[in-house]
Amino acid sequence: MSVIGARVEVRNLTKRFGSFTAVDDLSFQVDPGKITGFLGPNGAGKTTTLRMLLDLVRPTSGTATIDGVPYHQLADPLGTVGAALEATSFHPGRSGRDHLRVLAAATGVPTARVDELLELTGIPVFARSRAGTYSMGMRQRLALAAALLGDPRVLLLDEPANGLDPEGIRWLRTFLRHLSSQGKTILVSSHLLAEVEQTADEVVIIANGRLVRQGSLAELSGGSGTIVRTSDPAALASALGAAGVAVHPENDGCLLAQTADLRLVGDVALQAGLPVWELREKAADLEGLFFELTEGTNRTAVAVGEGGAA
Amino acid sequence: MTAGPSTARSVHSELLKFSTTRLWWGMGIAVLLSAAAMSLLYGILFTSSVMQEPGAPVGDDVQIANSVYTAGLSVSYLLMLTIGVIQVGAEYRHQTITGTFLATPHRARALLAKVVALLAIAAGYGVLSLLGSVVTGATVLQLRGADPFPSTAVLRTLVLSLLVLGLWALIGLGVGILIPNQVAALLIGVGVAWIVEPLLVFALSFWNFAADHLVPYFPSSATNAVINVIEDSSGVARLSWWAAALVLVAWAAVLSGLGIVRAVRQDIS
Repeated sequence: MSVIGARVEVRNLTKRFGSFTAVDDLSFQVDPGKITGFLGPNGAGKTTTLRMLLDLVRPTSGTATIDGVPYHQLADPLGTVGAALEATSFHPGRSGRDHLRVLAAATGVPTARVDELLELTGIPVFARSRAGTYSMGMRQRLALAAALLGDPRVLLLDEPANGLDPEGIRWLRTFLRHLSSQGKTILVSSHLLAEVEQTADEVVIIANGRLVRQGSLAELSGGSGTIVRTSDPAALASALGAAGVAVHPENDGCLLAQTADLRLVGDVALQAGLPVWELREKAADLEGLFFELTEGTNRTAVAVGEGGAA
Repeated sequence: MTAGPSTARSVHSELLKFSTTRLWWGMGIAVLLSAAAMSLLYGILFTSSVMQEPGAPVGDDVQIANSVYTAGLSVSYLLMLTIGVIQVGAEYRHQTITGTFLATPHRARALLAKVVALLAIAAGYGVLSLLGSVVTGATVLQLRGADPFPSTAVLRTLVLSLLVLGLWALIGLGVGILIPNQVAALLIGVGVAWIVEPLLVFALSFWNFAADHLVPYFPSSATNAVINVIEDSSGVARLSWWAAALVLVAWAAVLSGLGIVRAVRQDIS
């Protein structure tokens, strides 16, 4: 069976709770076959947006659709979208397996699929004990199993790495990679950039309910540069400038050359007769960028006063 | 897209929800034991000399049989109210309502499935309750020289007791949605039905207008009228069994209906 993802589209989406605007005229699109990180500080409106996509929360205005169709109009909801919204939504007295059976029954998914998913997510042993005894990691796996019940084309995961141990996080990454390689659309929310940095192809960053940035991770981190250290930075800077490479002085007498071509920088230094003490690619400081993009937009900071944020 | 099969699947899912926690067998034991114990007690009481004393409850053979066979109902309708509250309240409490509405985004259909499932669950417990009370009650009445089956009207009461239980479960469904905190819903639901209402009935029995025109429409009063048990001598008016059944249907319809309307419109966050 060929699996083709669906396009998730959020357009001019707004949600107000009383005087509080949780999501503010938000528009973005998520394409199939990629893992998209949905980033923002806590309280940025990520969960509210996901819940509006699933018709759990009614938008004040705007639309949220899957292949152009609102969730409640999907012919086969669980076969189209799988969602893991929180790792705590289980009845503590019901076993994990029974939790999945209840959901499976509602959509006519056979029990065999339930056991298959328990294997796949690595919790078959615990599946028959009550969910109240589960660790956070097991709850996350169970939530993921629930999301995958209908073999959906789109996966919406809200902070799936929360509470996972390092091995679990690694497993999750591989698992999501595998699913996206099948062509599924995957949207993973997180308040930590580092969590999705190694998994996501694209990111959508929101803060204060508004879109801050959308693009590929490579685009976001800007053109990668080269750090070079030498005895006479000024001389190397003019030599690089002559070779058509823009240069900015860095701290500690280093230079940042606006090129990813390490060999070119080395060659230019050699021709200028300058020693190369250090030559490396500048690692993209995504965490810093993320912080910069969302800085001052924290709701609590805003509540203190607009003036303080400036 | 047809409503039939998907509604049937949702009902199946609701029944699984109920059968996959420990609640069901605890309730089963409670229903069976209370039915047997209460009908034993009432069977002895209503065939004893106490009934000849002034001020004692009055009833004919049919009403005595009805009272004995439905003796456990006063406990089991509260248990059905509890089940109704929990069937939806637990979903809000443990946030499983999210999964329910994701699987069945047509919320009215998801809630209709709860209504159908609760009626089936209540009927199941009703049969269990009758098993306990009729076996015990008929034995006691027989042993003490009373007629265990004076009329087919007794059968009507037995069948109606199943309806009563189903309707109380639906009242619970409504209460469970309208009072979002499950513990509060249980305390208020059971408290009103078990304590507040009888006290109110007692208080209002001193006011003729209320005793004649208000009290009979209370859910517990209507319940007693439906199953036509023997009457106490307080002089409070009582509806005929079918009018009382309609009153109880109205209570269940209004409360569960209001609950469903609220659940359909509410944001789940």
